[in-house]
Amino acid sequence: MNNRENRTLKRETRSKLIAYAFILPALLFFLFIVAYPLFTVLWDSFQIKNLINPETQGFAGLDNYISVLQNPNFIPALWNTIGWTVLSVTGEYVLGITSALALNQKIKGRAIFRGIIIIPWVVPIVIAGMTWTWMLTPDYGVLNIWMADLGIIDEPYYWLGEKDTSLLTVVIVNIWRSFPFYTICFLAALQAVNREMVEAAAIDGAGIITRFRKIILPELKSVSMVLIFIHVIWTFINFDFIWIMTQGGPARASETLPIMIYKFAMEEFNVGIASALSSMMLAFMLLVFIMYYLYTSTKNKG
Amino acid sequence: MLISRKMKIVLKILTYLTLVLFTLFCLFPFIWMALTALRPREEIRSTNPTLWIENPTLENITNVLTNTPFLTFFQNSVIVAFSATFLSIVVSIFSGYTLSRFMKYSGVKLVSFTMLLSQMVPPVLLLIPLYVIMNQYGILNTHLSLIVAYTTFTIPLCSFMLTSFFASIPTDLEEAAEMDGCSKIATIIRIVLPISIPGVIATGLYAFVNAWNEFMFGYVFINDSELTTLTPGIMLFQGIYGTDWGSIMSASVLSVLPVLVVFVYIQRYLIEGMAAGAVKG
Repeated sequence: MNNRENRTLKRETRSKLIAYAFILPALLFFLFIVAYPLFTVLWDSFQIKNLINPETQGFAGLDNYISVLQNPNFIPALWNTIGWTVLSVTGEYVLGITSALALNQKIKGRAIFRGIIIIPWVVPIVIAGMTWTWMLTPDYGVLNIWMADLGIIDEPYYWLGEKDTSLLTVVIVNIWRSFPFYTICFLAALQAVNREMVEAAAIDGAGIITRFRKIILPELKSVSMVLIFIHVIWTFINFDFIWIMTQGGPARASETLPIMIYKFAMEEFNVGIASALSSMMLAFMLLVFIMYYLYTSTKNKG
Repeated sequence: MLISRKMKIVLKILTYLTLVLFTLFCLFPFIWMALTALRPREEIRSTNPTLWIENPTLENITNVLTNTPFLTFFQNSVIVAFSATFLSIVVSIFSGYTLSRFMKYSGVKLVSFTMLLSQMVPPVLLLIPLYVIMNQYGILNTHLSLIVAYTTFTIPLCSFMLTSFFASIPTDLEEAAEMDGCSKIATIIRIVLPISIPGVIATGLYAFVNAWNEFMFGYVFINDSELTTLTPGIMLFQGIYGTDWGSIMSASVLSVLPVLVVFVYIQRYLIEGMAAGAVKG
């Protein structure tokens, strides 16, 4: 009896050891490439650290944070980031839900339409950015010329090079590339909607719009929350689109916080200040995460 | 009858119209990319652009292939993307297997949760310390720096994808194999993997596309144009060749093709996985 217990205990320890050994490599990658750098960012944000003068070091207290907040470019960049995030996510949401509703109808060629709509999402951001930049160039850009031909604009316009339109133009390209993700998720959720309920409501005399608002929209609520949550964060911290298309220009008109971090770090080599701004963004993300968590947990309780 | 006949036709027309508009919106940039790549220089610089090419030519494409470092960039991307894919698949097979079989251990649960959290940490915020760390280890400006970074950021999702594949395999076979004295690793290689080949391929292709498309790390970590990968390379193109859009678009077409081919293959798995994640979420 004792012997058998001993043996099962041994087997249990062995299987535990195997489990931990198997998961160790993944954990090591995480510790070295995510956890340690994350800790470094927080640490450096309280240090005087500049790659140009590595000798001047020391504890900076909140100085880095104060310099970020007092930087004259900070508030405009913050507003740009908020505008960029809100406009992008709204546009993606509207296009995503519209295309998913259309794809959810019983029509011919649905698979082909679905396949085409998801293509922008697969392409590297650089290529999306380059292609749109080319289509929008003032001299020979096809969109510029066609819009002028149609009388929408008087003459070709330098969309990415003018202060009023540069950020908005990148928003449109971002929407173009990102909305298919919403489409696919909404489509999956729509297919889970109970058809009988929709039909019963129709028999009771509910019109199309009422049915959409009262039955379909509530069903999409949880997917919508996840999508908006993920994309607010993804868009807020996105570096690639803006860097590729405008580098934050002209005259910082499309500069967002990630672009600012990059410039602090890679152009001024001021690691301390760049880390302070990164930490502030991390804090914001944590806040969004907590809000989302509280929202979902109260919803699940109720 | 739920809706009147007339209403039904109107709805159908509206649906098709919406879908055609979306198709145009999504496809037009690609069509224009391909058209520009195949046009002679004079036609590209035309103030009256058309959807028709007067004298289609391959001169842009041959120019990109012979007179520019495009092939070097392409080769670098292939090396980096394949290595990162291989590494992250090997790591994820073991972590995914553990997540599917040993969730009862608190340590495994904890790792699973940290992996989920690490998905939320944006790479751009880690850019500076990673740059410094890679510099300290002396692997900045090498392919290894990119391979390590891409592997790390794909491991969580690859593990979760593989976990769901492994979870659907009954454990009887494995237990039988172990009775016969097979070690755990041998069991995974001989029993579990052969059944999960489609899952492993789908996961690998996801890791590949991810590495192939990444821009920021490639742009920041690599300084040597001999080692540059495709995505930052194409941005370099614009700096060097300025307004030679024929060449830039040719390079774009050539870099998009592998991704599109891969995508056609994984579309089903990818869409199912994404949708399942979001709907459950």
